[in-house]
Amino acid sequence: MHVDTRSPSMIPGESLLDPELQQSVILTKVQWVKDWGRRHALWPMAFGLACCAMEMMATAATKYDLDRFGAGVFRASPRQSDLMIVAGTLSHKMAPRLRRLWEQMPDPKYVIAMGACVIGGGPYSKFGYHVVQGVDLIVPVDIYLPGCPPRPEALIDAIRKLQFRIQERSGETLPETADETSAA
Amino acid sequence: MGEVGDPTTAATADPVTERALTALRAALPDAVVEAQLDGAHPYIGVRATHLRAVCRLLRDDPALQYECCHLISAVDWPEPAEGEARIDVVYHLVSYAIRPDASYRTRPGKNDPYLALKVAVPRACPEVPTVMDIWIGADWHERETWDLMGVRFTGRKELPRILLPEDWPGHPLRKDWVYPASYHGVPIIPPEGM
Repeated sequence: MHVDTRSPSMIPGESLLDPELQQSVILTKVQWVKDWGRRHALWPMAFGLACCAMEMMATAATKYDLDRFGAGVFRASPRQSDLMIVAGTLSHKMAPRLRRLWEQMPDPKYVIAMGACVIGGGPYSKFGYHVVQGVDLIVPVDIYLPGCPPRPEALIDAIRKLQFRIQERSGETLPETADETSAA
Repeated sequence: MGEVGDPTTAATADPVTERALTALRAALPDAVVEAQLDGAHPYIGVRATHLRAVCRLLRDDPALQYECCHLISAVDWPEPAEGEARIDVVYHLVSYAIRPDASYRTRPGKNDPYLALKVAVPRACPEVPTVMDIWIGADWHERETWDLMGVRFTGRKELPRILLPEDWPGHPLRKDWVYPASYHGVPIIPPEGM
């Protein structure tokens, strides 16, 4: 489904304003502004499991400069993050910790599965008894990013795709969890 | 014939390893079960009951000074060619004082400068006395050998696993270890044929 991610005032033929007023007034929706802010201020969690984390660090560093896309503010706490980049090999011992970190992140939150290991076990999928065969068995995943490890350009592409998806899902209500229903 | 640097060309025994075997046979005649000093990987087989005395002698003898326990591992023999099912616990020792040039497999025409001690224990009850108080670095190696091969090291205060979670079923490097269907609800898909 194609969704136009531009502001309504930028779509030709849909402007309600006089052409002169368009020079100084922007007409838009509150939801659009919220999504715009959300997708250009993704705060990833500083969380690396294995060699993919090296590429994630390189992406955030000077040469690739993830801050150009508004996603370079790596936070040391899950409570301040809204994006979890699962970068590296996820072992069965680590899986409960990862689930706990994900649950500590405030909604709305997003997960990128970075690299072959967290997509389906990668090189460990056959004999690696200790490796979880896909992080989507533990947490829901928004973007799958293949590679062993993926290059920084690929991670930037994944984050751009996530940003477009955030705008595409504009206005979607989050599914209520059982806790929230019982609290209300 | 092998190439230069190939460990298969090494035929003569290393003088320090020979000295170690001579000292062991003189001081602890009951300890040594077997010994093979030529070939690529020289080793001395010792009894589990004498292991600590052997290790102390190897470390404290001024002519040997095996002050580094480089590695502890184990070999699982569920159906050996002869004898009962057993597990060989292997200790790799190196003496940097006598052998400052000790580096693995890089000395063409010479023997492996590492001394391997092999301790055979019955597979049904694999118990070996700890050497943690002789080489403190043996701590993590013993925990790993317990974790993956299920060899118990006695005389330690505690023997926790080092890599796998404490409630992990079994010891995965044993040859008869069976893949569990799942771990805490997360499925484990075994490889084909296992």
